[in-house]
Amino acid sequence: MTGGMEGADTVAAQTEAPPTSEFRRSLRARWAQYQRTWYFLRRNTLAMVGLIVLLLFAAAFVYGVTYPASTSDPVQYCASNGPEPVGPGNPCYLNPNTVCTYPQGTVSPSPGCYQTPSQYPNFIAPTYTLTATGAFPMGSLVYPASDLNPNAPFFYNTYTMLVKGTVNSVGISVIIVASGAILGLILGALSGYFGGWIDEIVMRVTDVFLSVPGILLVIAVIIVGKSAGFVDFNTTLALIAIAFIIVWWPFYARIVRSQALVVREQRYVEAARASGASHGRILRKHIIPNSVYPVFVQMSLDVGSIPLLLAAIVFIGFVLFPFPLIPEWGSVAAAGASLLTSIFLNCSAGAACVIPWWQILFPALAIFFFAISVNFFADGLRDALDPRLRR
Amino acid sequence: MRMWVYVIRRAVLVVPVVIGVMTVLFVLISSLPVNERTCSYFRPSGRTSPCSPTISCPTNPSQLCPNPVYQQAVNSLGLNQPIPVQWAIYMGNALTFNWGYVSQGSALGTGLGGLGLPALHGEPVVTVLGQFLPYTIELALLSLLFILIISIPLGNLSAVYRNRPIDQASRIMSFSGFAIPAFLLGTLVLAVAAFAFGGPGAKSTICGGTSTVFLDFWGSWPQPPCAPLFGTANLSPIGYPNWLASGYISSPTGFPTIDAAIHGQYWLAADTLLRIVLPALVIAYGTIAILLRFVRNSMLEVMNLDYIRTARAKGLPESKVIKKHAGRNSLNVTITVLGLTFAGFITGFPVIESVFNLWGVGRIYAYAIIGLPKDWDFAVIFGSTLLFTYMVVAANIIVDILYAYLDPRVRLG
Repeated sequence: MTGGMEGADTVAAQTEAPPTSEFRRSLRARWAQYQRTWYFLRRNTLAMVGLIVLLLFAAAFVYGVTYPASTSDPVQYCASNGPEPVGPGNPCYLNPNTVCTYPQGTVSPSPGCYQTPSQYPNFIAPTYTLTATGAFPMGSLVYPASDLNPNAPFFYNTYTMLVKGTVNSVGISVIIVASGAILGLILGALSGYFGGWIDEIVMRVTDVFLSVPGILLVIAVIIVGKSAGFVDFNTTLALIAIAFIIVWWPFYARIVRSQALVVREQRYVEAARASGASHGRILRKHIIPNSVYPVFVQMSLDVGSIPLLLAAIVFIGFVLFPFPLIPEWGSVAAAGASLLTSIFLNCSAGAACVIPWWQILFPALAIFFFAISVNFFADGLRDALDPRLRR
Repeated sequence: MRMWVYVIRRAVLVVPVVIGVMTVLFVLISSLPVNERTCSYFRPSGRTSPCSPTISCPTNPSQLCPNPVYQQAVNSLGLNQPIPVQWAIYMGNALTFNWGYVSQGSALGTGLGGLGLPALHGEPVVTVLGQFLPYTIELALLSLLFILIISIPLGNLSAVYRNRPIDQASRIMSFSGFAIPAFLLGTLVLAVAAFAFGGPGAKSTICGGTSTVFLDFWGSWPQPPCAPLFGTANLSPIGYPNWLASGYISSPTGFPTIDAAIHGQYWLAADTLLRIVLPALVIAYGTIAILLRFVRNSMLEVMNLDYIRTARAKGLPESKVIKKHAGRNSLNVTITVLGLTFAGFITGFPVIESVFNLWGVGRIYAYAIIGLPKDWDFAVIFGSTLLFTYMVVAANIIVDILYAYLDPRVRLG
């Protein structure tokens, strides 16, 4: 505990230093607070493990952004009239023109044959190949032709998917959570600080959004957006972000409001008001900075849960992204897992059991480590911020 | 008497919430292209849907004429009226369970071919959902039971034995519950169960279909007889208790387990119940993960309070202090957190019902959003959303009343 005392001494020393400007003074006080939080966070082993894993994910994010475009294309189209593929090194080495009809449930007579789709959404067992692409030898999954995939068959390399998936999954989670938190922070602070009819309106609206099951509302918004014609890849990403933000902000608004209700009764807010500070200034300088910590905790918890929710949406059969799949952890793992029942149906009927385990395992591991490290970190952050838990 | 005042006051608070939810859904529905709206919300005579504003003229097939059925649908839904009138019409329909009809071209409407679900087009959405709701309710109740009997004792134990192995185990359980996708956990559990309980008998076919170890791991149980559902189509090889839907025995309540028990078919009831044990556990897992943290933290706070010290000082055995004095509080925490997380809890149903091949409303919802936009069923999508919302609102009322019952400060304060 001596370190804690030292931390407190440092804070005292810094606040006693002659103020140069108001801005720098407030910055210094805040910096001291961050240092104090960091001090308690540092002593929490699990939180540190979480932080290190998160830093690794940040590195993977940068790596994914800079991954060369020529090889990073996750979806290897094998156009039916394209050049003849050459061999296992080439992701398109199965001849897509080889459509062979053989009784369903029997083993494919030769590699490269796939069954013709007879009935949507009838499943055709995927063929696969293990290729050494990138750092690890990982499998690719061949998606056979279907209504959803007119460019069949296409290959999915797990390594490129993982690398690019980091960019998409982490990126979309951070964007959603940050936007939702900012919106919730502003509305919650206004509602908690002013009270009255603003509070009444904001709280009734949050009541409504907290009563609708979140995923269903997200899906409804995406469905309406897609029906209105927003179908291409980037608009889909934007649509997903918008849908999640619509659903997410009420949670933050609730948290911030409950904090703001406490903060606005504090002496320093009273003092600020007495010395003639405007509402906007009080909100900016006192209410929001003092309500923001629980939001950080909630944000870090939510960042981990969004890939899980996207996975759930894809798993139940919703075509989130225009097929072929885009590299997003959750949707790739879920697409692999949703094939399992059909695969077992087919192979119990006599076909070879080809389980695309790599497509499920690796993205799921990525989700798992991301979510669990975020949770470790958030848990440590909460402990560091809450003096009662520092026992 | 104060309790009744509280209940009534709580029930009145629901009204703005329900109006708000319907308004949000109305905004979404009215943003849909007009064809999709007329298509799935109106059923003229017969089972056809008014999907196109124009039809080919009977006299000159190369020309297009206005579709009278479509015009009728537009009039009936008030689509040619001002927005507030449309809103009022939608509110009326939503409140009177007039939620539209399964549309003709959707995946549900055409019956999904290989999966054996009958073509449902033209069926009122409420009828379809109502048929599958009892099974989901059974699943939810069993799941809630698991949540209560696992999270409260485990949370209490991990607080009492703080930082000991049981606390670490519950912490791992809690963190992994946040991080494992539900579909993956479900699939793993299913695979393990299939290999553990499957056995050679499990490979027997249901209803001549292609059931597998995976789909029917309780293979040693007697198989229910096969019969068509909804007339002609057959629901096999899916796991819905089709002996019930097929009219093998009458279903006075609609709840498969209860109906079987009423008829004295105890093996059928046991079979139906056993099939939902694992899905219920998987659904419960996510909520248990959240609850464990809350129960543990609240227990830790309570254990330091004065009345616990008093209880110990007057010589009560430690087990009684924990059970009667400190432990009572964790039920309140559980109830509160359950109310807050119920919306997240029931969104697990579409996923888990898909994994375990159960036919509840979650599965129907999953088939309403499957595939390409042409396969979507807007009436079912928005109807299910409304139904799930009603479930959340009802659960919140029940939670608040329970909470007031358990904690007198709430109803008297």
